[in-house]
Amino acid sequence: MSVSNLLENWAEFRHTHPVDDVPHDPYKWAMSIDLDACSGCNACSIACYAENNIPVVGKDKFEHGQVMHWMRIERYWPEDGREFPDQGATFLPMMCQQCEAAPCETVCPVGATNHTADGLNSQIYNRCVGSRYCSANCPFKVRYFNWYDYPTTENVWPAEMTQQLNPDITLRGKGVMEKCTFCVQRIRAGERAVKNEGRILRDGEVQTACQQVCPTGAITFGNLVDPESKVHQKWKAQQVELTADEQEKDKEEGGTDLRGYRILEELRPYPSVMYMERVRESAI
Amino acid sequence: MHRFIRFSILLMGLFAASSSFSADVALEPLTTADDLGPAIEQPIEFPHNRHAGLRNPNDPSNSDPLKGGMEIDCMYCHTYARRGSVAGIPPLQKCIGCHQNIESVRETPRIKKLFEYWEAKKAVPWKKVHDLPDFVRFNHERHIKRFVFQQNRPVQEVCGACHGDVKTMTVARRQKSLAMGWCVSCHEKDHVVSVPGGMPVGSQAYWYGFKKPALNSAGVEVAKGPNDCSSCHY
Repeated sequence: MSVSNLLENWAEFRHTHPVDDVPHDPYKWAMSIDLDACSGCNACSIACYAENNIPVVGKDKFEHGQVMHWMRIERYWPEDGREFPDQGATFLPMMCQQCEAAPCETVCPVGATNHTADGLNSQIYNRCVGSRYCSANCPFKVRYFNWYDYPTTENVWPAEMTQQLNPDITLRGKGVMEKCTFCVQRIRAGERAVKNEGRILRDGEVQTACQQVCPTGAITFGNLVDPESKVHQKWKAQQVELTADEQEKDKEEGGTDLRGYRILEELRPYPSVMYMERVRESAI
Repeated sequence: MHRFIRFSILLMGLFAASSSFSADVALEPLTTADDLGPAIEQPIEFPHNRHAGLRNPNDPSNSDPLKGGMEIDCMYCHTYARRGSVAGIPPLQKCIGCHQNIESVRETPRIKKLFEYWEAKKAVPWKKVHDLPDFVRFNHERHIKRFVFQQNRPVQEVCGACHGDVKTMTVARRQKSLAMGWCVSCHEKDHVVSVPGGMPVGSQAYWYGFKKPALNSAGVEVAKGPNDCSSCHY
């Protein structure tokens, strides 16, 4: 999304829609999460808080639904008749899926959330007016609203703790929507570094904070367009197509042994995150 | 009588309002015009013209340091401009590093003040002149790398594009509006791409713009600079 598009043609919001004739070149940032490897340790969530200056709102505000975790670990309990000590939860890290045809983008009255040429669903904080329509329209419920002016709210960041805030990302004020950005500050820093060398980013040069800390390596992040990248190879091995609203492998009779799937694919948001189904026992 | 005076005052007011309105319309757009910022009082009135100015503006061949400047490269003091996002204010050591050997100005009031800070082991509390809002991520490095090191333009021309003709100023003053429309007025221009496939002048990639390089009416491949919202706002 650029200023010229915004001014010239409001309908070009979805310029890089996957069914358009404009391919992602040279970047399309995507992720693959192996739920079999995920142990639900919450390290990714904590890393996200630290990297992205997310306020820790406390118990009261959490109960009011005002929690700000850009990356949350969802727990599911398989219904197989067993009780807790014998049976553990299965976990699913859930964050912004960076949809290609994002439902949030089309409803923003001011164009504050829009698509970038490298396939990110960007959130422009200073453009946001806080209508919260995007959050209402998000099928994944991964958008979080600043109900308070957290930079100045007492006890969110006590005086000394402001020193540990990440200077590379904006401190969001009251009345602004925010969400996972695929650590866009790291992507932009990486792009600048390689632009000086006149090349494009190689696989592994940019890591998201959640990927960096994941102790089991469940999260893979990279450039889907680059055939050498791990994320491209995983998507290919699982036969998951970015531009499909129903995967070919799922149309086969009797299903498939491949584990890759995308959440709420049938709604056609074309998410950029592929999950790999858990196969091991859920017992602790 | 009173009514007549009141009417004439009203007429004058209307005329003044309409004339000021037409003056507003006649102003050049903010995106291209200079926009002089407020004069900022610095702890030491730093003479940019003495440091970066031409040796002798009237006759460059006749270099008399007492008349003109020293032609010091901007990046000798603002050394982080080519390395990071902020250009940086030089540490006091850098000032002293030269000035302890320049006896001729050692007793002038400004240098005396400089050495007072040095002896008190305190940094000079310079005030920020070019201050962007916190939600903007401007990067000096990319601009310097591209225009100075890859296109070999003169440093003062490149820095001056945004900072004005600093070599003629004493204390620097903001010369451009630094508003987003003003930034975008460059980033929306079509720049010539020399090599097909997206590796333009100075081996810079324009892929990051929203639109891919395209042929213009003259048959030359052009592309816009990075102008995605999330290039600067995140």
